Amino acid sequence: MLKTEGLGYWYQDKSDPLFQDINLTFEVGQSYAILGHSGTGKTTFLSLIAGLDKPKAGDILLDDRSLKKIGLTTYRRHDVSIVFQAYNLFTYMSPLNNLLTAMAITGAEHAGDKHFALRTLNDLGINEDLATRNVQHLSGGQQQRVAIARTMACDAQLVVADEPTGNLDEDNTKEVIAQFQKIAHDRQKCVIIVTHEPDVAAQCDHQYRLENKQFTQLA
Amino acid sequence: MNFFKRAWLNVWAKKGRSVLLILVSSAILMFVLAGLLIRSAAVKATDQAKADVGATVTLSANRQAAFKKMQSSSSSTSKSSRPKMTLTPVKLSDATKISQLSNVKSTNVTSSTTVNAKSYDVVSTSTGMGSSNGGGPGGMKSSASTGDTQIDGVTATSLTTAFSNSQSKITKGRGITAADKNTHNVVIEKDLASQNDLTVGDTITVKETAGDKAKVKLKIVGIYKASSTSTSTSPMSADPANTMYTSYTMANTFKGSKYANTADSVTFNVSNPAKVSSVKQAGRQLINTSKYALSTDDASYQTVKASMANVKSFANKIVWLVAIAGTIILALIVILMIRERRFEIGVLLSLGEARWKIMAQFFTEMLMVIVVAVAIAGAGGKFVGDQLGSQLVSQSTTTQITATSSTGQPGGSGMHGGTGGPGSTGTTTSAKAVDTNLDISVSAVDLAELGGFGLAITFLSIMIASGGILRLEPKKVLIS
Ligand SMILES: Nc1ncnc2c1ncn2[C@@H]1O[C@H](COP(=O)(O)OP(=O)(O)OP(=O)(O)O)[C@@H](O)[C@H]1O
Ligand SMILES: [Mg+2]
Repeated sequence: MLKTEGLGYWYQDKSDPLFQDINLTFEVGQSYAILGHSGTGKTTFLSLIAGLDKPKAGDILLDDRSLKKIGLTTYRRHDVSIVFQAYNLFTYMSPLNNLLTAMAITGAEHAGDKHFALRTLNDLGINEDLATRNVQHLSGGQQQRVAIARTMACDAQLVVADEPTGNLDEDNTKEVIAQFQKIAHDRQKCVIIVTHEPDVAAQCDHQYRLENKQFTQLA
Repeated sequence: MNFFKRAWLNVWAKKGRSVLLILVSSAILMFVLAGLLIRSAAVKATDQAKADVGATVTLSANRQAAFKKMQSSSSSTSKSSRPKMTLTPVKLSDATKISQLSNVKSTNVTSSTTVNAKSYDVVSTSTGMGSSNGGGPGGMKSSASTGDTQIDGVTATSLTTAFSNSQSKITKGRGITAADKNTHNVVIEKDLASQNDLTVGDTITVKETAGDKAKVKLKIVGIYKASSTSTSTSPMSADPANTMYTSYTMANTFKGSKYANTADSVTFNVSNPAKVSSVKQAGRQLINTSKYALSTDDASYQTVKASMANVKSFANKIVWLVAIAGTIILALIVILMIRERRFEIGVLLSLGEARWKIMAQFFTEMLMVIVVAVAIAGAGGKFVGDQLGSQLVSQSTTTQITATSSTGQPGGSGMHGGTGGPGSTGTTTSAKAVDTNLDISVSAVDLAELGGFGLAITFLSIMIASGGILRLEPKKVLIS
């Protein structure tokens, strides 16, 4: 469903791009892990996929339509959902309101449906008591699960995550990855995760390594 | 609208910050309101001053025309005796016509003359002027010799400037009123009364200076006190204690039968000083302008108006300065707030929220703050306005008094003919204007205007700060 065609990006020096001529395809119902050393450009790549920035070279196609055509704001609103390392929740709201806000902005099918939001949170182990207090009063693992619940409550087909387990302990990491797998397999979404941890990557359906400006698929 | 809800959640969740913002905004708006209040009070006070100080149009003989006539006659008949300036007394029928014009509030007929004391002794002054007083410059008395007692014939004492300015005050009995027409009632000065052991109800006898020099009995109905300052206003006259007030009909009787139904001058009080010139204009149509002239005196109104205009422009400056400073302060606060909330803005952008809706959220948040601030400022602005207002008025009144004392004297007396009595002309001082206080009260209009300013300040500060939202790249949030 998502394709990169000759994708390239650089910050200042055109002759020294972070990556160039990248041709990859991501499908729904699958999970992808992107590994690589620090500073190789994983986050930069993800920001292009998430529609947060424009490619310097090449193009990204969603169901054969260029993101330029779709428009980045529309693309972000309807087609992609992002989970960040730093949870990225609205700190002045409860988990419930975080979900309702995201659903309202993205115009999700269940927008405004409080019970749906509570159920989604409950599926991820956030009970109603936790769901209605301020989000800052939740643990890191709980907050990350709220962020994941947010992507599940919205209708976007593509879920991208930048080191979603970076701040989590072993148990929470396992739990979160299991949830991502569920999103990919049960909800038929396309999940792309950037991670440092080989264990996390191993649980995904496909693994890529960004090295020497190129993505190589690992066996 | 989702951003409304977000705005509310934010304002509610960050109570401390919201309270702080409310306090800052209240302080700014309080000064704006103080300015607005002083401005509207100045407008009100000017209206009040119009009614209070009033202005007059005076009908008297046309001295200029008479003077010209005298000159031409003296040049043509150069060998004849010393030329005489003849001033035609004002006809009361003319005055009646003018008094019926719109905006004329009241009419005071003035007719002055002198008589000689018969049953009492005049108060003599140490200045040695004795009885040589001329009853004021250019008096319009009969050509006969002058007496030692000044008679100011009026319609009512309360209508004279001396009494309306409180320079002279009735201390016993009552003043002359319109009802005293055709009576022998008189109001005498306190010093004269005590020197001669006279009191209300007593009768005095005077001797006419004109015609058959008949003896006339006058009945004392009131005693007044002339303020000491009024002496200086009529340097030509003797001790002010020797001035008596009678009805103008009595004064005319002293002057002689041909003076019946005439007056030296007639003063019309105009209810709205702004209409003085139109009254004068209309009045000129009704009189023979070669013989009579209409002069206006709205000097004190003009001074009050000028000083209130000063207050008003000062208040305007306060309003705008504070509004601009407030906008800058709030804009800076919003800029800081937006910087601090870059992360949140990034998340909103990553969710695909439109930038204008993010700005709308910030605007709504500030609006909630401003609404409360307007209410607080509305309550507190009166206090600030009161303080500032009284400060301003005491200043402006001082300038008023100095202004009038320097312009008032020469201005007023010119056309007023022979009414040389104490303070009856000339010093149309701002005694009334001194009472003019800025009445500070918060009206619905003030609050609406304040709300308008609050809205504008909020809107502008968000616009100024919005660059931060518009430029923010959502990717930065991801990478940091
Ligand atoms: N705004 C920027 N301007 C210039 N250079 C940048 C900018 N953002 C990132 N870089 C550089 O681009 C390179 C790639 O950054 P990126 O954040 O994509 O790496 P990463 O693979 O995500 O690293 P990490 O594993 O540490 O998160 C880094 O060398 C970084 O210094
Ligand atoms: Mg990174």
